[in-house]
Amino acid sequence: MKTTRRRVLQGAAAAASLATFGIRSRASFGQSGVVRFVPHGDVRSLDPIWTTANMSAYHGAMVYDTLFGIDADLQPKPQMVESWEISDDQLNYKFALRDGLKWHDGTVVSAEDCVASLYRWSARDGGGQHMMKRVREIVATGDKTFEFHLEEPYGLVLDVLAKTSTPLCYMMRAADAATDPNDQVTTNIGSGPFRFVEDEWVPGSKLVYERNPDYVPRNEPASGMAGGKVVHIERAEWNIMGDPQTAMAALQAGEIDFFEVPPLDLIDILKADPAIRIEVLNKLGNVGQIRLNHLHPPFDKVEARQGMLALVNQEDYMRACIGNPDYYQICGSQFACGSLMENDAGLEWMENAPDVEKAKELFAAAGYDGRAVVILQPTDIPILSNAALVTAQLLRSAGIEVEVAASDWGGVVTRRAVKAPVEEGGWNIFHTWAGGNAQSNPIALSAHAATGENAWFGWPEDARHEELRDAWAAAPTLEERQEIARQLQENSYRIVTQCIFGQWVGPVAYRDSLSDILAIPEIIPFWNMKKSA
Amino acid sequence: MTGYLVRRLLATIPVMMVVAVVVFSLIHLAPGDPAAIIAGDNVTAKQIAEIRERLGLEEPLWKQFALWVGNLAKGDLGTSIFSRKPVTELIVQRAEPTIALTATTLVVAITLAITAGVLAAWKAGTWIDRGVMIFAVMGYSVPVFVVGYGLVYVFSMQLKWLPVQGYAPIADGLVPFIRHLILPSVALGLAYVALIARITRTSMLEVLSEDYIRTADAKGVATRPKLMRHALKNAAVPIATVIGIGVALLIGGVVITETVFNIPGIGRLTVDAILKRDYPIIQGIILIFSAWYVLINLAVDVLYTFLDPRIRY
Repeated sequence: MKTTRRRVLQGAAAAASLATFGIRSRASFGQSGVVRFVPHGDVRSLDPIWTTANMSAYHGAMVYDTLFGIDADLQPKPQMVESWEISDDQLNYKFALRDGLKWHDGTVVSAEDCVASLYRWSARDGGGQHMMKRVREIVATGDKTFEFHLEEPYGLVLDVLAKTSTPLCYMMRAADAATDPNDQVTTNIGSGPFRFVEDEWVPGSKLVYERNPDYVPRNEPASGMAGGKVVHIERAEWNIMGDPQTAMAALQAGEIDFFEVPPLDLIDILKADPAIRIEVLNKLGNVGQIRLNHLHPPFDKVEARQGMLALVNQEDYMRACIGNPDYYQICGSQFACGSLMENDAGLEWMENAPDVEKAKELFAAAGYDGRAVVILQPTDIPILSNAALVTAQLLRSAGIEVEVAASDWGGVVTRRAVKAPVEEGGWNIFHTWAGGNAQSNPIALSAHAATGENAWFGWPEDARHEELRDAWAAAPTLEERQEIARQLQENSYRIVTQCIFGQWVGPVAYRDSLSDILAIPEIIPFWNMKKSA
Repeated sequence: MTGYLVRRLLATIPVMMVVAVVVFSLIHLAPGDPAAIIAGDNVTAKQIAEIRERLGLEEPLWKQFALWVGNLAKGDLGTSIFSRKPVTELIVQRAEPTIALTATTLVVAITLAITAGVLAAWKAGTWIDRGVMIFAVMGYSVPVFVVGYGLVYVFSMQLKWLPVQGYAPIADGLVPFIRHLILPSVALGLAYVALIARITRTSMLEVLSEDYIRTADAKGVATRPKLMRHALKNAAVPIATVIGIGVALLIGGVVITETVFNIPGIGRLTVDAILKRDYPIIQGIILIFSAWYVLINLAVDVLYTFLDPRIRY
């Protein structure tokens, strides 16, 4: 066939029409019911019970439901549960599930499912384990009713079931909950307001959820994790973006609707864009922790830990790590400022910090021998990387030798689990943070434990601390818990379980086409959210 | 030639075996523990140890290696520690964007670079030559991510002509497919345009000073056939070599480009796997990249025989 100019033009026209068809087919899909979200990280495991990773908890909140949920005032309220009774002696809890609960495979949610889920979850969760020490049994007493039988009163049953610190108490089918707690569940069948679209899952890149048409929300208005989870969108697409600059540009260009963690140093650019809203959803934010290794010198001596504490000037840390004072606060409370457990007991150390002379005296009293203190520095997390450098400088100012061990976060989480001495691959200090809501709970957050080698990384040990934690959990009223929290905090700073280097919030950024996003600590909810065309 | 090809292909086997040993050793000896990463933050050292055991990471290294090699022999690259999906499936899932990006980049880069290099050689010493060389130095000096951000700022944020990020499969239509590839291809290709243009110019300048070109001029051969048929063909061997090296080097550029433009390709899969210490994925991808390297070198060697009939194996 001879190639002529006419044929070339015909071919080009055909190609153009094909291409146009492509555009139409995409446009006809419709974007008004689709929320395109860029979260802070990837969902690395789809089993929100097996892992304590926050992103898996986000995934869980889409797919699964909870028996109770905290409301906007952080109080536990029923979610899957319709009604409950507590016996006068506080030893028996009776629960009844509400009508209309169905798994995504169409089967009805039963009490047996919930009992199996509770056992599996409590095997993984610190708060659940603490509660189960007092629980004799959990039994299904009907299709929709089950009971907790306790050995001794435990004031936190509803709080633990409703907590938003990971792992949340998500309900699964009995068949899935029968999975060994040390193995991952391989299905994604929940009873939550969204269904996971497994066919469109690109691990590390994209997760898609669609509205669960069979979900029956509660009648009350949505409030935190409680109330009616009414879904107003058809689909949520989570795009995992490795580069925050790209996510920011995509938000400004309208290619995404919602960016969870816009960089704080660039937030003013987004604020200047009239189509973008900036809002703090997690009002309690995050609490920065300096974890000291209690197993090895110098921080095996309380004087050395007190010396470190004397150096912690939170303003230095916050300016280096967060920078923008609109988003941080100076807060020494071990239970997060703004929480129900916030208190000012034992905060004398903050008055003169950094008190270099006092730190020198305390390190000398601890018998500091000049060996280098190893600080783990995760260079891929700017907040923690900068915190490590501030700590290093403060220690040097007190005459302490410092070795900063730089790696990525993956390297830090590996090394921090090493209990061996520094010269055998161990460590002395690492920095991290916990959500303010989790921080406010001495039981749910494992960082509060002082159970020695069974405690969280740093392994503090103190019998008095553990007695107080147990007393806090058993306290029947909020006022009693608040009083015990004061004693706990005072004790915590006496032995220096950990230092707090500040508290900050992270604003989210979203396009003005989105509205009615609920403020929940540590979860981004997609129910209640609306998107205009 | 057939014997040569067979010999070269057989020679890839020991190369791949050495790669397998080195890759496995480096990854497992480097600091990092997938169990600690997947477990999340609110766990104890004991829980991490339990996960390590479940994942088989407590087994001796030689045993883990033997298991991996045994599966490799059956064509099984293993299963991702995190997503629990077969590595082969994950790579296939991510292959289209990477192949599309590298193919587009190569086509654009080779076309532009050879044209620019030939022009620069032909017009040596003129402003065209100097312009091409200035561009080449800049193109090779500026990092991919800087070019990427610059392009996004101008063409996506200011002019709003092209998307900021993402990838549209060809099944979604040709126009969205091309629109999503233009900026990443230009960003990734710039360095290769510069590299290939410089080599083309140098090689062409050498050939243009040869006697047979002077003879062609004396015979009155027109400029175009002189440049393309006589000069470029004889200058092609070093150009083919540098293109071959460039194709191999593209792998590194793809990693950055896919991150900047949020393209769900193999480059991003690699970065994510490294950050998570997802050993089976890292091992699988490096092995495939190594095979790719070896095959590209072989293809370039074979190409020499077509470009220069004097070369025989």
